Amino acid sequence: MNAVQRFIRSRVLLLTASILIVAMCLSVLVQGQSQAALSRTVDQNSRGLYDVLVQAKAKDNGGLMQPDIATGQGGISFEQLDSIRKLTGTSVAAPISLVSRVTQNLESPRLDATDYLGFNAGLAGTSGDPTATDPSKWPAAESVLSDTPKKYRLTASAVSSDGHSDQTLFKTTAEGSLGKAKLVEEQVEGGKNVRIQGPEGETGIKFPTPAGGSEHNLFNLSVSLPMAPQVTESVVAVDPVSERALLGTAGDFLSPLEKAPPADARNAGAIGRHFESLFTNGISMDELKEGPDFLGVKLKYWAPLMTQYQQAKRDGQLTDDSQAIPLIVRSGTALDLKYSVKIEEIDDSGNVTKDVGTVTRSLDKDYLPFVSKSPFALAWPGSKDLSQLMGDTGSFSQGLYNPATWTTNFAAAPAYKDGETAANGAVDKSATPGDWVTVNRLPDKAANGEAVDQTQREPVDERSYRQNLETGKKLATPLAMVYGTFDAANVKEAAGDVNRLPLGGYDPAPFTLTKDASGKDVNTELKPSLSATGLVSQSAGAITDYYGLAAARGYDANANVIDAVRVRAKVPGSWKQAQPEVEKLANEIRDMGLQATVVAGSAREDASIAVPGYSKDDAGKESPLGTVQQSWVRQDAADAVSGSLTATNLTLLFLTLCGAALLTGASTVSYIRKRRSEAGTLRAMGWTQRKIRSWVLAEFGVGAALLAVVGVVLSLISWSTATAVVSASVLVLYAGAAFVAAQQLRHRDVVDQEPQHDERLMAVDSPLTFANRQLSTNKFNTISLAVAVGVFAAAVGGLVALLIDIPRAAGASALSGLAAASIALPSIILGVSGVAVGLLLTMVTGRFELQAKRQYLGTLRAMGWNPDMLGQVRFFENAMVGTVALPLGVVGALGIGLLLAPYAALWAAIAGLVAVLCWIPIATKVVQ
Amino acid sequence: MTNELNLDREAHDRMTASTRRGAHKTRANTIVKATDHATPLELSNITIHYGGGKGGAEAVNVVDDFNMTLHAGEMHCVAGRSGSGKTSILTVGAGLTLPTSGRVFWEGDSLETMGDDEIADRRRALIGYVDQGGALIDGMSALENVLLPAVPDGEVEKRRDMAKDLLDLVGLGRRMRHRPAQLSGGERQRVAIARALILGTRVLVVDEPTASLDRAAANRIISILKDTTSDGIAVLVASHDHELVRQSDTLTELI
Repeated sequence: MNAVQRFIRSRVLLLTASILIVAMCLSVLVQGQSQAALSRTVDQNSRGLYDVLVQAKAKDNGGLMQPDIATGQGGISFEQLDSIRKLTGTSVAAPISLVSRVTQNLESPRLDATDYLGFNAGLAGTSGDPTATDPSKWPAAESVLSDTPKKYRLTASAVSSDGHSDQTLFKTTAEGSLGKAKLVEEQVEGGKNVRIQGPEGETGIKFPTPAGGSEHNLFNLSVSLPMAPQVTESVVAVDPVSERALLGTAGDFLSPLEKAPPADARNAGAIGRHFESLFTNGISMDELKEGPDFLGVKLKYWAPLMTQYQQAKRDGQLTDDSQAIPLIVRSGTALDLKYSVKIEEIDDSGNVTKDVGTVTRSLDKDYLPFVSKSPFALAWPGSKDLSQLMGDTGSFSQGLYNPATWTTNFAAAPAYKDGETAANGAVDKSATPGDWVTVNRLPDKAANGEAVDQTQREPVDERSYRQNLETGKKLATPLAMVYGTFDAANVKEAAGDVNRLPLGGYDPAPFTLTKDASGKDVNTELKPSLSATGLVSQSAGAITDYYGLAAARGYDANANVIDAVRVRAKVPGSWKQAQPEVEKLANEIRDMGLQATVVAGSAREDASIAVPGYSKDDAGKESPLGTVQQSWVRQDAADAVSGSLTATNLTLLFLTLCGAALLTGASTVSYIRKRRSEAGTLRAMGWTQRKIRSWVLAEFGVGAALLAVVGVVLSLISWSTATAVVSASVLVLYAGAAFVAAQQLRHRDVVDQEPQHDERLMAVDSPLTFANRQLSTNKFNTISLAVAVGVFAAAVGGLVALLIDIPRAAGASALSGLAAASIALPSIILGVSGVAVGLLLTMVTGRFELQAKRQYLGTLRAMGWNPDMLGQVRFFENAMVGTVALPLGVVGALGIGLLLAPYAALWAAIAGLVAVLCWIPIATKVVQ
Repeated sequence: MTNELNLDREAHDRMTASTRRGAHKTRANTIVKATDHATPLELSNITIHYGGGKGGAEAVNVVDDFNMTLHAGEMHCVAGRSGSGKTSILTVGAGLTLPTSGRVFWEGDSLETMGDDEIADRRRALIGYVDQGGALIDGMSALENVLLPAVPDGEVEKRRDMAKDLLDLVGLGRRMRHRPAQLSGGERQRVAIARALILGTRVLVVDEPTASLDRAAANRIISILKDTTSDGIAVLVASHDHELVRQSDTLTELI
């Protein structure tokens, strides 16, 4: 019988080799699937809107890039931008710059109380608007006010919130009497005149200047309220053509900006006069609704431009050099600013007799920077808006009265200091506090020139985390010219999620407060501050072009004012495919003296940022905000995630197969002990020890050859060096086990004829002591089995540690989570199959003793040992093997855990313990 | 040899006396009680088939409609060629396997009505089983092997002297601390018989006790078995040893 036949007939060798081969095939297959899923996930999610971020200067940030790429610091010239665009590898080069902060006083708030007298003669006809309500259908007169004046107390207040705590900006009270208006007919020259006036004895209500008083109008009584706080926005500059190319269809909102006139055709005075002439010469109803055509763009918001131009001209702000700046403004605001008015009816002594109610209004999604006319028009409780009776012309908006103030104070991006790095690579940062900024101030003079009562407001200090920006030559006050609007949410969506790369100031990354100053866990999205100099910013209030930047900052057209250029390479495909070309492109840009950061293969990652010195109390003591979290950009995330998880995958494979190989070895060594009698027979036939060993090794050689063939085939199929290395390791372990096994066939001349010394042994008087005697009698097999169980437990611990460690190994980026999820199932399958193979092999090892065990259990049964006692014998035997295996399993698992995944080492040890504890009842059941 | 046999006779007398001395307080007194029941073991219409299960193997009809009544103090031999079903009848009689059909009575009680635990308890009190080759437990001395049946009742220490006497009885008083691997085949058989008798068994079921033994060793075993019958113990033995067959009181020959 040759070695192959003996190998096949040995069944055990065939079985263990087969298990190992199946385990190899399954593991390599699963690992291959896992690797494919990982590559697919990484490839699909690691190339964003652009591949290289070009900046003039940026500090080494350890691979974690802050999202504020529009810093206002500039440093890149238009000539350099042109050079970048001319590179053969460049597809799109889109510049972006932070231009300025812009502060604007909102139109004075007012409180409208319905006070409609039913008078319509002559009014409906004057509208001439077909959308106006037919006079015969106007409602009956109604009012929320009484015929005789009542005394009221109005308390106006404004509150802003950073999302964490509220800040009351002012609270001002005014008292007076209000009543239902009446019509007064007056005889004037040429006929009668009808006017609306307050009832007898009405004092009206007047808040301090610059607020006006109360006034009876056609449909209501309007009370002028104290001024709302100034609202500050930021403006960024882009090249609309390249920006659209970068964003695709999501950037269509920029198309009006492409049609804006060149710098020499933006004189503010000329453009203002053009729109004044439209108004003077008459404007059609369609033009009123859609806006007049201005060089191919319907300027819907021409009225605000005109009124602000007129006011600026009156104030002497505009010079001959002043330019109109075309803007695409943001829809809505993230600023949390509420304006409230509490209305109370009081008696002559000032006591409250009735709480009429509190009305509140916030800046919301309808708010438009530079053009919103009445963001804080409040309605008396129970009031109706009857102005629509007049038709659409009633909504004709002259826009904001006050022109914006442009400044570069505290406009730059925040600065951060590096902190600690966590196990998964997550980086802590600390925001660098700057100066304090005072907000909530009232203007010195009202629009009518009156001095403003400053006592009605207490200025508020806000911490600035931003810096002042340099400006060019003396700034000529610009004039905002709104060309269109954009929705920040849509832009954010276009930027993607996992591989989101910062677009610039109009796509800011929000902050979430995760721990307050006392360290308590919170989860609050932070709102921008009133001054917009804090850490949190909202999407830029407006986007302009680079002529706009030059006008606002007083620079020449070719100054080095570009903060960053986002470059997309021409090469298509995944980040990995594009990597060589992208690197080449980045190097060419670096050769220009610019900093080029390759962001292909990046992913967003949350950075934890400590925020010190956020607020101060009345005594001037500063307090931190706590810890905030913000999505930054992890460079090389795809490479890191892919490399780390591939390593984990391979380690899982290696652990599974090497564990299986070791167990096969233990099984083989145990098996060969059974063949000692066979060796004795051969020896008796005259065989030498060497020949007997060769004879046995030849059988193992067949198994080894099979493993080698499978290993080579698997390595060729997977075309993976790792598979080849793992296969070779398995083969070496198997060969080692075979050699050790062959040594077990050595001839032993010593025959023990000494009687047993019972007194040295524990008396056999129970199933426990019987089991103990059996195991101590068969020490080799007991230890072999215990080692097998220990190896099994250690491997289980190692597998569990790796599985637990996958999220940490993957890293902290958004790509990590996706990638880890993509390999989770294959990894678990690999781990579970490893455990199953290990369990199976310990069972195979245990089976070599099975026949002998069944024999003596049968003998005990024949002696009258009942099934319960036989069960106890089986259990105690396995429990004792488990006890021997336990230290090896637990320490082995702990060691493997510490080696592979220190953070999960404890879990590895626990898993090793559990594996042994689970093995005991399973083995007991199998012996049965 | 003769001297040794005489020495063993003395040991037998001591053992019997010892058993009788403890009759009032130990299970060993069942030896005395054994004589109370005339037919401790009865096999009725026993049929034993093997195979024919899901594996598709052809069913083997080993024993067909076998009847036997074993009386106290009687040695009954089941003889026959190899594979004729001798061992099967013994294991069925000892309650170790169930017959395909038919009934087994222990002292008049059918095994059909008993659960596993009750069978185990009754077997311990009634039957001593000696497997072919002795089936001693490795790693335990002859004395420990003899004492194993006393473990379930926690009477190991109590029966230690009796075990020594039994080993003396079977001529192994000097080998009681030797392990099975250090004993010859005949010695192992004798240890197994001593082990079967330790609990004062009323029925001794012995499978091929003289197989692969030399004539002298075989005769010694036969002698021990005959001696046990004199104490009222019924012996059911499977063998094709002519001498054993000759010395049996009754014989069933399987074809």
